[in-house]
Amino acid sequence: MSQHIVVDRVTKQFDLADEHTLALDDVSLTIEANEFVSIVGRSGCGKTTLLNLIAGLITPTKGEVRIGNQVITRPGPDRGMVFQHSALFPWLTAIDNIQFGPRNQGVLRKERLEQAHELIELVRLKGFEKKYPRELSGGMQQRVAIARALAVDPEMLLMDEPFGALDELTRAEMQEELLRIWEARKKTVVFVTHSILEAIYLSDRIIVLSPHPGRLRAEFPIDLPRPRQRSSQQFMKLYEDIHDAIF
Amino acid sequence: MSERSFQRNLLISWSGVIVVLVVWQIINTLQIVNPGIFPGPLQVVDTALNRFPFSDVLAHVRASIQRVALGFLIGGGLGVVLGVTSGWYRLLGKLLWGPIEILRPVPPLAWIPIALIWFGLGEESKVFIISLGAFFPVVTSAHKGMSTIDPLLFRAAQSLGVKGPKLLLKVAIPAALPDIAVGIRVGWSLSFGSLVAAEVLAAQQGLGFLVMYGRELGEVEVIVYGIILIGILNLVTDHLLYRFLFQRQLRWHFGT
Amino acid sequence: MPSSDTSLHATTAGGRASVRRVVWRRLRRLRIPDWVYGLVTVLFLLWLWEYAVDHGHLNPYQFPPPSKLQGTFESLLERGFPRGITTDVHLRTTLSRILKGYVAATALAIPSGLVIGSNSILDRAALPIITFARSVATISLLPLAVAWFGVGEFTRVFLIAYGCYWIIVTSVVEAVKGVNRQYIHAAQTLGASRVQIFFRVMLPASLPRIFSGMRVALGMAFLVIIAVEMIGTVRGLGALIMEARTFYRTDVTIVGMFFIAIIGFVLANVLSWLERFLLPWMTDLDEVQR
Repeated sequence: MSQHIVVDRVTKQFDLADEHTLALDDVSLTIEANEFVSIVGRSGCGKTTLLNLIAGLITPTKGEVRIGNQVITRPGPDRGMVFQHSALFPWLTAIDNIQFGPRNQGVLRKERLEQAHELIELVRLKGFEKKYPRELSGGMQQRVAIARALAVDPEMLLMDEPFGALDELTRAEMQEELLRIWEARKKTVVFVTHSILEAIYLSDRIIVLSPHPGRLRAEFPIDLPRPRQRSSQQFMKLYEDIHDAIF
Repeated sequence: MSERSFQRNLLISWSGVIVVLVVWQIINTLQIVNPGIFPGPLQVVDTALNRFPFSDVLAHVRASIQRVALGFLIGGGLGVVLGVTSGWYRLLGKLLWGPIEILRPVPPLAWIPIALIWFGLGEESKVFIISLGAFFPVVTSAHKGMSTIDPLLFRAAQSLGVKGPKLLLKVAIPAALPDIAVGIRVGWSLSFGSLVAAEVLAAQQGLGFLVMYGRELGEVEVIVYGIILIGILNLVTDHLLYRFLFQRQLRWHFGT
Repeated sequence: MPSSDTSLHATTAGGRASVRRVVWRRLRRLRIPDWVYGLVTVLFLLWLWEYAVDHGHLNPYQFPPPSKLQGTFESLLERGFPRGITTDVHLRTTLSRILKGYVAATALAIPSGLVIGSNSILDRAALPIITFARSVATISLLPLAVAWFGVGEFTRVFLIAYGCYWIIVTSVVEAVKGVNRQYIHAAQTLGASRVQIFFRVMLPASLPRIFSGMRVALGMAFLVIIAVEMIGTVRGLGALIMEARTFYRTDVTIVGMFFIAIIGFVLANVLSWLERFLLPWMTDLDEVQR
């Protein structure tokens, strides 16, 4: 069962060499179960840091991140992650990449193979199971990455600008794909992006962070029914408002 | 980095070396291995300071450096010239490729017998071997550097009115320099190795000779001393070359 | 210079340039593969050599002509040099020495490199030692190794192993350290344990770079063995060419060098072939490393 994500007064400071960077300053927010939330903001606003904190890849300097009532201190299969550059293991085929999580959890071969095939179908990559990542296009790689993350049945998907490296057309296609998959496998999604348009198109709620240091700037609930029209008036209005909030 | 972690890192870096030296000395003191053939660090230091005062050693070092520098300049210079021209004039490149590819896999030392036949027992044969060591890596990397220049650079230069030999000098060669620099570093290391081998096999002066001399005397401390000196010299020269080439001249490519 | 851009040639002034252009364009149109050019040059040089010796320009002692070398080649295969030691004996001896030293070095270097690379304190402490040990010229160790182990096979194999070990261990350490952090993050978010990450992520991700180091080490092994064989032994390719010189047989020396070239070529490429076979997923090194 999906649970709330609570970011409770989180501050993150990075100390490297002689630089001290305050990436996030006293940020608090709550994400409901099965909500699709986007985090947007200019470079340096700490959105990726925030995502990594939720994932447990880093820990806060002050404050804490909780899921349900558990404090997050390390990464785990309950928080699946999709990265900008797929991070698919190049030495494994698509289907083996997808099976990576279950295999490490000890799931038996027959079962995990079946599940992997199901996921391949879900992301519409039937026929490409035995391909290596280098043989797949950017969009395809991201589909495999999503399938791989879903294979361990996470409570949520954390996505760090997953479509940022794709061209405009593929990007639009992938946005559709993501919504379709999300409808099929309802999960909480925390989605970091540079693109306001993308955020409005996809999310239930948009959180705006301001940079240097990262602070919560504004929140925008998106009440539009899906599928959304990028050219509708409400869409445009939202875009303007969010744009103003960022700049 | 804070002052404390810097000091800590320094300590860790040295700890490995200290452990090795301590263990080495212990093995020697406890005579776990016959000290006749396994001298301890203190004995080697003693040899360094008393048997072979630095002024004597300097003469050997200079002889070695002169040899390797000469061979390196000849081989490397020829390598750069041939590599650059064969990269610029494609036809020449294709023609030269054959003989070079056939000769390249032959280790420089394998040329010693034929060098002795051609040049006799003197300095020339040693310099020849050393220059072979430098030649092949340099010519290969210079050729590669010239052949893989982004055509975009040429188009950009031409649109700015650059043509002819200036194109070669001001655009092509600088663009190829990073590859050439890598080749030079490898060439130096190969030259140095060939130098040592050539000196160990037959020389009257130089660090390699020092090592063999220790063998003749039956004094292993001298052998170890020579080995360590060679290692230090190799390390120092490579580091200087690296600093000069990669950190200063070619900062634009490799970063600081 | 990109030969597709003939306009570049056009910018050089002069009639000679235009002749060269025409010739070059005609040649390219024929689409002659590169190796033909190489072959033509080599054959031409061989012919020139023969001619020069015939007409007294080159001393046949210093430059035995190709015609003579052919006979030597055959005699080396049949009767061998020195008498009784045929080419294949020399080849097998050299190759077996290389193999023993190389395998020993690899067997030690990969585990130790993996351990050192995974532990930042060990890595920092070991770095000066590894760097210095690698800088020691392997040949200079010959007298020391002889003092310790005598003049037998073990000494030779030891030297090869020494030369290879430091190169391989350096590349293993760098390979482990250089694994793209994102692969590790991805594995963590997929629930893999530390052990699983080590064997199922770090190891495969390190392989390309390790292979690269092993290629360099094999080249080093070849250099070392040839040098070592030139002293105190009559078997092996290095010994072959050295013995030949002692008996003033320049022709044997040159044919010996030819065999050395072939072995050198095979060694330089065998790992690349192996890598392409074992690592079919490989792209550019940059992707797998930071």
